[in-house]
Amino acid sequence: MQRRSALKSLTMTLGGLVALPAWATGWTPESLDVVQTGSVDDQMLVGEIMETIIPETTTPGAKSLKLNLFAQRMIADCYGPEAKTTLKQGLALTETTAQQTFGKAFANCDTAQRKEVLLKLVAANDPVGKPFVDMIKRLTIQGYTNSEYYLVNVQHYTMAPGYYHGCVPVKLVAAGTK
Amino acid sequence: MSLLNIDSVKARTFDAIVIGSGISGGWAAKELTGKGLRTLVLERGRDVRHVTDYPTTMMQPWEFEHLGQLSKEYRDANPVASRCYANREDASHFFVKDAEHPYVQEKPFDWIRGYQVGGKSLMWARGTQRWSQYDFDGPARDGFAVAWPIGYADIAPWYSHVEKFAGISGNKDGLASLPDGEFLPPHEQSCVEKHFTDEMAKRYNGTRPVIIGRCAHLTKPQPIHLAQGRGQCQNRDLCQRGCPFGGYFSSNSSTLPWAAKTGKMTLRPDSVVHSIIFDATKNKATGVRVIDAHTKQMTEYYARIVFVNAATLNSNLILLNSTSNRFPNGLGNDNGLLGKYVAFHNFRTTISAEYEGFQDTTTDGIRPNGSYIPRFRNVQQQETDFLRGYAAGFGSSRITSTDTAGIGEDLKASLMQPKYGNWRVGSHMMGETIPKESNFVALNKALTDPWGIPQLNISVAYDDNDEKMIRDFHEQMTEMLTVSGFKNIQTHDKPDKAPGLDIHEMGGVRMGKDPKTSLLNKWNQLHTCKNVFVTDGACMTSTSTQNPSLTFMAITARAANHAVAELKRGML
Repeated sequence: MQRRSALKSLTMTLGGLVALPAWATGWTPESLDVVQTGSVDDQMLVGEIMETIIPETTTPGAKSLKLNLFAQRMIADCYGPEAKTTLKQGLALTETTAQQTFGKAFANCDTAQRKEVLLKLVAANDPVGKPFVDMIKRLTIQGYTNSEYYLVNVQHYTMAPGYYHGCVPVKLVAAGTK
Repeated sequence: MSLLNIDSVKARTFDAIVIGSGISGGWAAKELTGKGLRTLVLERGRDVRHVTDYPTTMMQPWEFEHLGQLSKEYRDANPVASRCYANREDASHFFVKDAEHPYVQEKPFDWIRGYQVGGKSLMWARGTQRWSQYDFDGPARDGFAVAWPIGYADIAPWYSHVEKFAGISGNKDGLASLPDGEFLPPHEQSCVEKHFTDEMAKRYNGTRPVIIGRCAHLTKPQPIHLAQGRGQCQNRDLCQRGCPFGGYFSSNSSTLPWAAKTGKMTLRPDSVVHSIIFDATKNKATGVRVIDAHTKQMTEYYARIVFVNAATLNSNLILLNSTSNRFPNGLGNDNGLLGKYVAFHNFRTTISAEYEGFQDTTTDGIRPNGSYIPRFRNVQQQETDFLRGYAAGFGSSRITSTDTAGIGEDLKASLMQPKYGNWRVGSHMMGETIPKESNFVALNKALTDPWGIPQLNISVAYDDNDEKMIRDFHEQMTEMLTVSGFKNIQTHDKPDKAPGLDIHEMGGVRMGKDPKTSLLNKWNQLHTCKNVFVTDGACMTSTSTQNPSLTFMAITARAANHAVAELKRGML
C-alpha cells in the first residue's frame, strides 16, 4: 500500500515519464535470503521464544511476522562470534531449563511456563542465560518495531510524506509517528 | 595504416576533457557543452544512470535484510568506508571498498570515496551556503596560507548561476557573514529551533544567528528544474539512495543529462586517468592517458583544454603523477607545493541537550535538512586564542519512548503506545582548519594500485588550533543552550575520529596570486600550464566553515566560462 502510493506520487510528479524497473515492485518477506545457520529445531525454538516475548493477540505476534528469521539473520550476518555462541548455548540452556522445571520441551510449555523459563534464565547465575534472553528480546523488539505491521499501523510511516511541519499540536499527531 | 591511426586519433580528440563526473565535473561538463565544446567526460567508476541505477530507492525500511545495518563481514573488510555515516545497507553500493582502492595512511585519515558516474554528488549531505568576503579574507587577515586571488564579488554572480539551476532552498536572512542566494522556499524550523533562534537574537544582539539550513532541494521546482526532468522534493530524506524524483541536486539528475542533451558530451565510465600529457614544445597539455578500469589497457585522449575534477585528493594524485622532463615533480609543480597545504573541516565534536517546554507540540512529516549556526567567532576581527571559527548544524525532534520492561502481552501493549518525552536537540561542529605545509599528500614510491598508478600517501592531522576550537565550541554552545533554557546538556568529543570523515578535504593545488607560492591563478589555471584547470576542492586556498560543494560548483562554472572565452580569443 505504501509502495503503491509512493509509486503513484512518483508518476504524478514526473508525469509518467519514468519507466520503473523491475526491482521497484514485487517484494515479499520470503524474497529475503533465508538464513542457513542453525538447525530447523533451533529456528523453531527461536521462534517460540520470540513469540513468548511478543505473542499473537488480536494483532500479529513474533511468529506471524517471521521475526525469528530476522533475528537469526542478524546474528549470522551482523553480530560477532560471541553472539553465535550465546545463541547456541542459550537455546540449549532454554531446553534443559524447561525440562528440569516442567519435565517437557519449551515448545510444549504453556505461556506461563515459558515466561517462567525465560525469567529463570535471566535470574540465573550462569554467564549464558541473561545475555541470551537480553539479546533475543532486543532483536524481537527491534524486529517488531521495524516490521511493516508496526511501522504502518502504529507509527503511521509514510515513505514520502511530501511535507514537514515544525510545530503542530501533539493531539493531531500520534506519538511515535514517523 | 597511417590513415587508420589518423582516424583513431581524430576519434579520440575533443575540444575539452573533464576528469571526473562528480559535483564539480558535472558542472564543467554542463558549462563546456553548453558553449558548444565537444567534451569528453572521464569517470573512473561504473555508470550510474538516473533512477534506473538506484536499486534501493523505493525500498521500504522493513525490506532491508538487516534493517539498514552493514554486515559484519562488510565492516571487517571495510573499516574505513564503514565509518561513514551515510554508508548503510541502503547505499553501500555507492561507496568505495577499502581493499579495492588502497592508499597509505601516514597518519589516520578516513578517505571516503564514491567511484561512479555522479561520484559523491549522489550521497552528499546537500548543505549549500555561500562564502562571504570575511571567509575569502581569512588567510590574508590572519596570516596563514596565501591570500585568495578572488573575493566575494568575483564569485557572487556564479553562485547565482549555479543556485538557479541546481535549486537551492533557503531563507533570505540578510546576514553579512552568510550572503543570501537565489532561494527556493525554505524548510520550516521546529518550535524549539525557533525558540533557540529567538533567544540567541535577544541575548547576543544579533551576533549569533540561528537559521534554517540552505540545501539543494527542490522545495518548489521552477521551469528550469522541470526542464531537467526533476520534480518536487517528496521529503523522504532517503537521498543517499539516489532520488527518483530528482528532488535534490546530483550530477546524475541534473548537470550530466543536461550536458548529454546538447549532443556534445561523450561520457566514458570505467576510465581511470593515469596522467595528463604535457607537450613541452607547445608548453601546454595535449590530453590525458586513460587506463581502462577492466582491461587495464592505456589509451590517450586529446583536447585543447583539460578540467581536473577528480575530487580533491585524486586531483592532487593525477597532477603529481603527470611527470615530464619539464615537470619532473608533477604538472605545474615548479615550487614544490603541489599536494601540500591540504585542509579539511573538523567534525569531531557534537553537543546534545533537552528542552522541557513545548510539551503540547511536535513535528509532523520529514525534513531533509536542519537548522544552521553560521560562524560567529572571529568574523570581523580576531577575538579568541585560536584562529578562525566554526559553523554548526542544529537539529531537533520530539523524543518518543516506549516501556520495554517485561515480556509477553504487557510488553506488546507498551510497545503499541509510544509516549512523548522531551524535545531533544543536537548540534555538530564544522570547524575551519588551517592549511599548512605539514598536512600533505604525496605519491608512494613503492606501492601502486591495481592499475599501476602510485598509491597516495596521506599525512593529515589535527593541530592545537583545532583542539582549542573544540573547547570553545563546548563552552560557547553550553552557554548558549543554558541561557536558552535547555537541560541535560552533554558534550561529546571523539578524539579518535580521524580527519577525512568530514568528507570536506580541500587544497593541495591552491589558488593564489603568485606562481611562487601557489599552483593556480584566479581563473583556476595552472600558472605554468594554462590550459589545465583545477576546479574541485583541490583548488581551495582555505576552507572556511561552509559545506564546500556550492563553492566548488560556482568556481567551476566561472572557470569553464573563462576557458571558453579564452579559447575564442585564441589564448589557449
